[in-house]
Amino acid sequence: MKNIFDTLLLTEIFQGLGITLKHLFKKKITYKYPYEDTPIFPRFRGVQYIKTHENGATKCVGCYLCQKVCPSECIHIVTDCGPNGERLIRKYEIDLSRCIYCGYCEEACPVDAVHMGRDYHTTDSTRDNYVINMKTLSENYKKELANAQAKGEQL
Amino acid sequence: MVTLKIDGIQVEVPKDYTILQAAEKAGVHIPVLCHDARLNPFGACRVCLIEAVGNPRLMTACTTPVAPDMDILTNTEKLQRIRKTVIELLLVNHPLECPVCDKGGECTLQDLTYEVGLTKVRFEATPADTPVDHTNPFIERDIDRCVLCGRCVRICDEVVNIQAISFINRGMETMIGTAFDQPWNCEFCGQCISVCPVGSLNNRVYLFKNRPWNLEKTDSICGLCGCGCYIELETEGNELYRMGEVPDKGANHGNLCAKGRFGFEFVNSVKRETSAKIKAAGEAADADFEQAVVTVAEKVKSIKAQHGADSVAVLVSPRLTNEEAFLANKLAKDVIGTAGMYAVEPHSSFPDATYADIETSDAVAVLNLDVTEANPILGLAVRAAARKNEAALYVFYPSETALKRLVTKQFTGNPDEVYASMTRLVEGQGEEASVLEVLKKAEKPVAVYNPYNQADLWFVSELKKQIPGLKVAAARAKANSQGVLDMGALDAAKLKEGIQNKTIKALICLGENPSVRTGWADLSLDSLELLAVTDPFMSETAKKATVYIPVATYAEKDGSFTNLEGRVQSVNKALCKGLKTDAEVIAALAEKLGKALPSCSCEIRELIRKEVSLYKDVDFDGGLVKYADAVTGEFAKPAKAAAGEGKYFLYPSSLRLHSGSYTRWSPDLAKVYGEAKLEISPADAEELGLEDGSSVSVSAAGITKTFKVHVEKHMTKGCVALPEDYADTAEIFGKGRYHKVSLGKKG
Ligand code: SF4
Ligand code: SF4
Ligand code: SF4
Ligand code: SF4
Ligand code: SF4
Ligand code: FES
Repeated sequence: MKNIFDTLLLTEIFQGLGITLKHLFKKKITYKYPYEDTPIFPRFRGVQYIKTHENGATKCVGCYLCQKVCPSECIHIVTDCGPNGERLIRKYEIDLSRCIYCGYCEEACPVDAVHMGRDYHTTDSTRDNYVINMKTLSENYKKELANAQAKGEQL
Repeated sequence: MVTLKIDGIQVEVPKDYTILQAAEKAGVHIPVLCHDARLNPFGACRVCLIEAVGNPRLMTACTTPVAPDMDILTNTEKLQRIRKTVIELLLVNHPLECPVCDKGGECTLQDLTYEVGLTKVRFEATPADTPVDHTNPFIERDIDRCVLCGRCVRICDEVVNIQAISFINRGMETMIGTAFDQPWNCEFCGQCISVCPVGSLNNRVYLFKNRPWNLEKTDSICGLCGCGCYIELETEGNELYRMGEVPDKGANHGNLCAKGRFGFEFVNSVKRETSAKIKAAGEAADADFEQAVVTVAEKVKSIKAQHGADSVAVLVSPRLTNEEAFLANKLAKDVIGTAGMYAVEPHSSFPDATYADIETSDAVAVLNLDVTEANPILGLAVRAAARKNEAALYVFYPSETALKRLVTKQFTGNPDEVYASMTRLVEGQGEEASVLEVLKKAEKPVAVYNPYNQADLWFVSELKKQIPGLKVAAARAKANSQGVLDMGALDAAKLKEGIQNKTIKALICLGENPSVRTGWADLSLDSLELLAVTDPFMSETAKKATVYIPVATYAEKDGSFTNLEGRVQSVNKALCKGLKTDAEVIAALAEKLGKALPSCSCEIRELIRKEVSLYKDVDFDGGLVKYADAVTGEFAKPAKAAAGEGKYFLYPSSLRLHSGSYTRWSPDLAKVYGEAKLEISPADAEELGLEDGSSVSVSAAGITKTFKVHVEKHMTKGCVALPEDYADTAEIFGKGRYHKVSLGKKG
């Protein structure tokens, strides 16, 4: 009997709407991404950057350790020997669409080159743009450096 | 036998064993750094120290022989402490550059550092920073990483016998180098790289290209010469990065030559063809595989219908696997209906002596062959006999060879003199009579000869008759020179005749490059209505082809090769470049001609077992084929070796860096030896006003060609030499292997 009564008068719907109404006037805890950035915490792991020397040359020596340690196999490196017998990095790519941001690459790097950055804006409309190369990674470093300096922090 | 205890485990070992060998038998691991089973004990590093109960002194396991009732401890606390200090001391000046060191990941020093648990060095010393040495075209030398184990020095001396490098200076200044710091010019065998436990000697062909943990290893056999070395193809994806040695497998004891270690790059070459080509009205145009095969099949059918089956011929290259050669023979015999396939390989010699026979021989004669250049690993066996076994070694060759440091006596001179000398040997006259006596008295005499010199076979067969115990080794040149014969290849002389008198209208040429083969270059292939060629590269013959199909190299297929010892060994596919193998080409062609043939190597192998009686019970992983005779046929005593009128004797030389035309596509080998050079003695060069690099014209048998000169101090005065298998030289050697030529300075 009560069931028929509830069904006819739509009481449950009004109850639900009531909760919605209550929350409408409460303090908001969500962020309006992408119009607004979520705050990030000091040990956040975002898109990688690779440090450069003062002369602009990359600090990475192409040792393949980050490629080896990466559990999602998203780092691809090709090295070669240069004309004067030096070690050349022909290719360094990270596929962000596979990266799980575990930070192992940062841990493995023996020369303080690759680091986890603080940027997480990776949305894109094509997969290709998720593959970032040494140039982007070095630019990321410049950006991270500028951001950190603006905040008076150190990288 | 001696009984002793190692870490409480009782073992019984022969009395000439070292403690290290005994420990191996007991299954106890003793860390080592300077030890290598192929080399004499040295005891340089002290990493293998062990304790014998009741003896206050520590001993090195790798050099100390066992004694009865020893009680050895290998891992006491004291030893652990000492071992750690030994490694710590090695690391004092060692640069901390494992991330950029090519050895990182397969470095014994790295492994030992982990093994002993060393994380900090107590001493403060600045790591050395000497510039890296690049004077050797194939070997990078970074002496700062050297631990002075002496393995490179020892292998270059004990095994290769070149003594190119040694310890120089003393004390803290000690390093590995060449005499008087001369540029490092040697055999380029790279044996020293293969034993270096650290990244001090590195392979420049592989330098910085990859890291060892990325590489997948496939056991296989080197396809670059007839020695048949057991190798490891190290690949990532479909790129070949290294051809490595496998010391405990195969008959080559992990030794390789410059071609094997540094010449593999042609497999990855961008110059390899990727698409088939069909020639119409003199213009070659790309075609797909299917089209190419159909074109060949149609042509074969129509020529066969018009001129009969015998107007079609199949020529196979000695680079083909046994399985492919067998299939090619089926194609020729069963599908097309001819007498069989042909191969440009001498038919009268067969394998007899094995490497082991040579290494343990007590008297070796090398007949008219520069063995260390032509067949480097066979050369190492000869060196081992002379060096380790102290065998009497006699070398008959126009010039001095690298064996000169080891010979009992060498007989040099112009080719006519060498032939005269070998004749005296066989007839037991003159000075050479004593050599014959030595060979007769020897327990295990061996003769090494060149089967490509038909004339030389007389000496071999005569020697065999006189010395019943004599074993002979024919220095076959190509990876499967012996195998293609075993699979039934006929003597190609008939084929040449057929093409010359135009009875052969169609030639299916599988991997062979007759245009540069000695004795073939003067043959015009223009009269053929169909010339179908398969080759990984656009070879000289392929350029003339009506239909050309690019095919896989030995690294891209399964099968087997039979080496010059008669040892059958499996070749395994390590990568794929998207190209068909010769077996697949043959099978496709047979199908279009109306008969199904298998293309899978295991199926073919089963057929070989059934149909080739020699291979009935042979083990395809290193088994020896048993041949009835080492040489067959009747031979005439050779008259004068050289024909012609000129002042100088010309003979074909062997090249350590090249074998046939394949290796010339390897950029690294070509950098060191590219075009054919004329070798000449300093005295003759001076007389003609020639020096290294100047041009000289060579005229013989109505042909004049120009070559660059290489002045070589080992050359005999009055003799010059040119390598075989080059387009330019093939024409000169087209009329025979020995000539009298006249030389003229150019420019
Ligand atoms: S964060 Fe993790 S998954 Fe991403 S690149 Fe580094 S190691 Fe790989
Ligand atoms: S671990 Fe560091 S130095 Fe090595 S390849 Fe990665 S980024 Fe470069
Ligand atoms: S030789 Fe070995 S220990 Fe030395 S830098 Fe190279 S990998 Fe590291
Ligand atoms: S490459 Fe061979 S010949 Fe040259 S130094 Fe090394 S071991 Fe000796
Ligand atoms: S000796 Fe012959 S088989 Fe051995 S590595 Fe050299 S080329 Fe290859
Ligand atoms: S391994 Fe024994 S002293 Fe080096």
